[in-house]
Amino acid sequence: MWNASAYAFSKISFMASKPKPHRLHQFAGTALQNISKRPRTMCTESYMKDAFSKYADYLNDLNEKRERIVKASRDITMNSKKVIFQVHRISSDNKEEVLKKAEADLEAVKDQYISRLVKELQGTDFWKLRRAYSPGVQEYVEAATFCKFCRTGALLNLEEINATLLPLSDPSMEPLQINVLDYLLGVADLTGELMRLAIGRISDGELEFAEKICRFSRDIYRELTLLVPLMEDSTDMKTKMDTMLQSVVKIENACFSVHVRGSEYNLLGSSDPSSFLLGVPNLES
Amino acid sequence: MKTAFRNTVALITLSRSINPHSHFRSLLPHFSVAAVSSSPPLLFSLAKPETFRFRRVFSSQRHSSMTGGEAYAPMSMEKQFEDFRIQLEEAGNLRERIRAVVMEIESTTRLMYASFLLVHQSRPLSEVLEKHKTQVDTLKELYRRLAEILCACPGDYYRYHNDWRSETQTVVSLLAFMHWLETGSLLMHTEAQEKLGLNEEFALDIEDYLIGLCFLSNEMPRYVVNQVLAGNYDCPRKALKFLTDLHAAFRMLNLRNDFLRKKFDSLKYDLKRVEEVYYDMKIRHLADEDSTGDNGNQGQS
Repeated sequence: MWNASAYAFSKISFMASKPKPHRLHQFAGTALQNISKRPRTMCTESYMKDAFSKYADYLNDLNEKRERIVKASRDITMNSKKVIFQVHRISSDNKEEVLKKAEADLEAVKDQYISRLVKELQGTDFWKLRRAYSPGVQEYVEAATFCKFCRTGALLNLEEINATLLPLSDPSMEPLQINVLDYLLGVADLTGELMRLAIGRISDGELEFAEKICRFSRDIYRELTLLVPLMEDSTDMKTKMDTMLQSVVKIENACFSVHVRGSEYNLLGSSDPSSFLLGVPNLES
Repeated sequence: MKTAFRNTVALITLSRSINPHSHFRSLLPHFSVAAVSSSPPLLFSLAKPETFRFRRVFSSQRHSSMTGGEAYAPMSMEKQFEDFRIQLEEAGNLRERIRAVVMEIESTTRLMYASFLLVHQSRPLSEVLEKHKTQVDTLKELYRRLAEILCACPGDYYRYHNDWRSETQTVVSLLAFMHWLETGSLLMHTEAQEKLGLNEEFALDIEDYLIGLCFLSNEMPRYVVNQVLAGNYDCPRKALKFLTDLHAAFRMLNLRNDFLRKKFDSLKYDLKRVEEVYYDMKIRHLADEDSTGDNGNQGQS
């Protein structure tokens, strides 16, 4: 490359050596030309500057908005996680109390943080900034479905979630609705929490509840397998599916252990659930 | 097995409109007769919901046999996921259509790029420009088709944006280069939109436009060298002026650490390269001399 251009220039300088006599004359010419050109170039610069200051405003607005949305999303994630932890505090005797608190917390997440997201996103393209808010929305879906499952044993539908979000939006604008992809990604994460819940319930002796969780997570996994290939940029989802299968298998194995050794547990007649757990050493692994 | 079942459901939905009853029975012989006959025949005239209803009967039966009839309502879950499947399939079809158009855009830009490369071989600008203009017309038509597809689903522009992003960036770079050759000025965002027949409804994304401009600058050093080779000694000065302005303009932007930032970083190397060429010319007193002689080649009238 360098060689080539060096060669080119030597050739040029050779060629250009001829018209030298005219140089003085031409010098004057270019000087004049330069003067005459100056106003034009000035205006060239300013038209570019004008246009680019508009682009700069656009990019600044967009980036600031994105930043605010990322923050809102992070707050949603953080507080949704707290709701999930609250649900995990459940046990056979405090179910009502724990769930009530979790539901109240979830409501607070919606009213404080989701509403902030809604305000930010109002009037913009939801898809454009999706990557900025998707993690928070997924976590919220996870928390909401998790609460709902513990309450009713059913999967909270996307329509139901979106219906609760409607009041947050300005009625004159297009309301923020969680899209199918974020919902499914959130539901995919749900199985991880369900696995933890199932293990906890088994160690607490609530075997029926654990089996219910087992069936529920199997259903989710089965339904999602059909949808994964249809989802846009599904790489994220594919890794989630692997984790999900692992979770489902863990729940199944835990349920299996109880099923097989449950009779021993009954025979022992122990009222202390921890003594039963000793028979299932690798339950949490 | 899953696909088989899906196909069956699809078939039912399709064939039901012709003669629902008979097909229904013949296609799914494995379903218990009780389940079929327990559905009142009246329901068969309904369109969608009853497919799900049937599946629900099917699934809850299976569940109850497995679990002893625990009611956690898998029905609504299946129904919801079935709806999602339909939605996502529709989105997939739309995407196929978008991709088909984008592939045509891609091959058109390839042709455009090939004929654009002739400027490096110092072909008369008018010839190159003429060809370019007919190709822009083709592009315009393709973008019209793309806009037509996307205007049918308002609000989804950015959902599929990635599918035509990089192609559009190339398009912008070609348009902007040709515009510069023709007029010596920068192609503005609105002008680029006009050239492609885009409007507010289906707009050219500003970031795509800016990235396209960076691609344009990548082509400059080579162009300048080749123009000098062809005897157009005034070209480096003009190109340098243009790139300096462009670089100054780009520096007004606050960029994030993204693709555009990376491309903008490459712009300054292009600028440096063009500066070097200009310096080489200047130091040998070549830059000033032929500035008038070869203007025709540049086409900046």
